[in-house]
Amino acid sequence: MADLAGFGRFARTYQPGEIVFAEYEPGDSFYLIQAGRVRITKIVGDIEKNIDILSAPEIFGEMAILEGAPRSATAIALETVKVLEFNRANFEILMIGNPQIALRLLKVFTKRIYDQKRRFMILTLDDPQAKIADVFLMLDETQGSTNPGEVSGDRREFKVTVDDVAHWAGMNPAEVQTLLGHFVKQRRIELFVDHMVVKNINDFIRFVNSKRKK
Amino acid sequence: MPKVGTYRANSVIYFQGDQGDRVFVLQRGKVSLNYSDIETGKPIREIIQTGEFFGVKSSLGHYPREENAVVLEDANVLTFTVPEFEAFSMSNTRIIIKMLKVFSNQLRHIHKQVENLMENPSAVNAEMGLFKTGEYYLRNRMYSQARYVLSRYLTYYPTGKMAESAGRFLETAEASLSRYGDGKGPAPLAGSPAAAQSAPPANFSVDSESPDESPQNASAGKASEGASLSDLAKDYYNAVSLFSQEKYQDAFKALKVIAEAGDESEYVAKAQFDMGRCLFALGQWDLSIKHFTGIVQSAPKHPDMADILFIMGQSWDKKGDKVKAKAFYSKVLSMPGDEDSSARIKAKKALNALAGA
Repeated sequence: MADLAGFGRFARTYQPGEIVFAEYEPGDSFYLIQAGRVRITKIVGDIEKNIDILSAPEIFGEMAILEGAPRSATAIALETVKVLEFNRANFEILMIGNPQIALRLLKVFTKRIYDQKRRFMILTLDDPQAKIADVFLMLDETQGSTNPGEVSGDRREFKVTVDDVAHWAGMNPAEVQTLLGHFVKQRRIELFVDHMVVKNINDFIRFVNSKRKK
Repeated sequence: MPKVGTYRANSVIYFQGDQGDRVFVLQRGKVSLNYSDIETGKPIREIIQTGEFFGVKSSLGHYPREENAVVLEDANVLTFTVPEFEAFSMSNTRIIIKMLKVFSNQLRHIHKQVENLMENPSAVNAEMGLFKTGEYYLRNRMYSQARYVLSRYLTYYPTGKMAESAGRFLETAEASLSRYGDGKGPAPLAGSPAAAQSAPPANFSVDSESPDESPQNASAGKASEGASLSDLAKDYYNAVSLFSQEKYQDAFKALKVIAEAGDESEYVAKAQFDMGRCLFALGQWDLSIKHFTGIVQSAPKHPDMADILFIMGQSWDKKGDKVKAKAFYSKVLSMPGDEDSSARIKAKKALNALAGA
């Protein structure tokens, strides 16, 4: 573990169930977990969805590096949680003495930059149908790297809701619902209560590429 | 050990789309990173300086290269595997810090580009999103979470269009929390799961976009709860908002009016406590001590007693009277109640600091 003696003034403790920050709240701090687990959740429709459960020595809330951006999820202490709290102004102080943490943050930023660029690629498509297809391609790229065992043939399963797809595509859910309906009629997608199936991912790759401006 | 590679002019170190696990440093020669701007599609050539790293993001993030690395003049390039780079950077924090700065700027830039494209009218704005989050927790009897989110709403949007509802919900959350505890009690809102009786629809729903309608509906449905946030409560949250904006003088004045004219003991007690906090924030140690002494004498069961004693200790501390400060901090620790309350933790820290001084 990094040498964190002397960072007592950044230390915070949260009781089980206590909120560290809420979705939509403006935030300027990010957190390094020292002990305990933190639940990252989002309220989608009428359900509180668990996005992640984090523990030491993970970092969360790092998007606070963007000024004034509202939090994209809620962080709740799952048990007694000890964190170090930092902000844009003072994170360098911590990083200088703790290269492990700096390196971890560097990797987190790397991933966020890639995610944002990928998102940008989706949003710059003009064709709404292609946007939706590209959301599945993005999900496939990120899922693919985590469990390659599931990649067999052209069929792909995604544990997403209409709201999730709408969120990534930057479209409203009603429109996404309609367009997903078109895909279903064309037998390119199957919709289930808790997941969606893309029947041929390569068909989607060709479709998106044909709509992408060169 | 990192290896030195020699590349001829016009050769390519890596291509866009390659899966790469190497990080490079240019030692001698000239290398250009060529790619097209994601926004305009314009070709971009980024010349690498000697001593500069490249290929870092795609190797660390395990994603395909995003540019062609083209050698313009014969070059010597130092090549690290990811583990080698990690080991090297551990002993050169300065390099990581520099990269962190570059990456955080890139992240800000790309985030802004994405934001610019998100002109989606259905995207929930932050204000409504925050309110709905609070409402969700209240509906599901997660009172402490509801309390946190709704009070944040009132802090950020004291005159927001949901401020009245938020204040009312906050009161409900606080009352339910102290009466029943988290997860217990009757349905706090229409539409709560397992609500005892079906309430008239949409009374408290925020989906009705016309705010003028809902208070009347609400009073028809649940008149007993107090249909709208009382004026006193509204004044109180406005004052708290002034405090959070560090306008302590104005906050103090507003709180004084509430404390003197109010008849709802709950807000009077809150206002009295916050007046003391204002005095302390203004650096008026003597007045702060005097004010809090008044509360301790007149309302020994004040709900914020631990915090009151702590701020009194701080005031003595600031005045330089360590003995009295210690006495008050110790008093906080001797109070019954939550072992991990913030006042106790702060008092413990303050005592340690005094002991160390």
